[in-house]
Amino acid sequence: MTSDDEVALRVRALESLLLEKGLVEAPAIDEIIDLFENRLGPQNGARVVARAWSDPAFKDRLLSNPTDAIVELGFEAVQGEDMVVVENTAAVHNIVVCTLCSCFPWATMGLPPVWYKSAPYRARAASDPRGVLVEFGTNIAAEAEVRVWDSNAELRYMVLPERPAGTDGMSEDELMALVTRDSMIGVTRALDVGGEVAP
Amino acid sequence: MSRVITQEVARGLYKATRTAHVDADVAASFKVGDAIQARNVNPTGHTRLPRYIRGKQGVVAADHGIFQFADSLAHGGGKQPQHLYSVKFTAQELWGADAPAQDSLYIDLWDDYLEKMA
Repeated sequence: MTSDDEVALRVRALESLLLEKGLVEAPAIDEIIDLFENRLGPQNGARVVARAWSDPAFKDRLLSNPTDAIVELGFEAVQGEDMVVVENTAAVHNIVVCTLCSCFPWATMGLPPVWYKSAPYRARAASDPRGVLVEFGTNIAAEAEVRVWDSNAELRYMVLPERPAGTDGMSEDELMALVTRDSMIGVTRALDVGGEVAP
Repeated sequence: MSRVITQEVARGLYKATRTAHVDADVAASFKVGDAIQARNVNPTGHTRLPRYIRGKQGVVAADHGIFQFADSLAHGGGKQPQHLYSVKFTAQELWGADAPAQDSLYIDLWDDYLEKMA
């Protein structure tokens, strides 16, 4: 039995117990699953990024007052109350880590991936960000500046990735498809026009 | 008897109501551009001041405004609202001379974590 099967079994057993004991009602579980499957997740952040790439005035608002700019697009939820957005350029590459735990901007990016919460990522993203970036397939020019953001306190961070080359004529919806969760953590760039992870 | 979690309760859990920002009038001890040193303290309980920052020297990059203090809240000491700053440390200050000279790390630190450089 794979570990995924074990987790699924354990979850089913817990769910049955909670329902049988009357602690949780079934629609509450459906509500939370729907929330994390459909309403909170990196598709929201991708919309924010694609809008910023398409609309310079929105981009200005996003960088100067990120929380309100994100709410403008309807993404208002817990763990998005106090946001910071940092912009990647050819000269500056930003990468986000929570060295103390797993803080993550749920409203725009959903729940953090397992590796983001792992001790090796939390330690090495801070102490050797360029090494971690290479492991994610991201090469940063020696002369560029790397900025690590440790979201240890109450602010939640999102990276505005650099708009890929050759995307001038693309619509906001087309651009959205190039924005990945990892690119908004800053461990990768946005996808290139061919939909591949850009080095 | 604990409260049953209904759909309505579940909805409420994820609303954007948990800002740690506090509307209070508290003076800032530091301003953007100030050179600071993170206190070298070793609290036994919860803190958001990681060990790799303690005793290190940096510069205040931004003032986020006034936030409740996670350390005192965790220890039953109330919100103790105070300024929360984004502080920039060079990679070389944190990791030594082998780190790239232009790289840096930004971390959010409360007023109580910081002391002015002499």
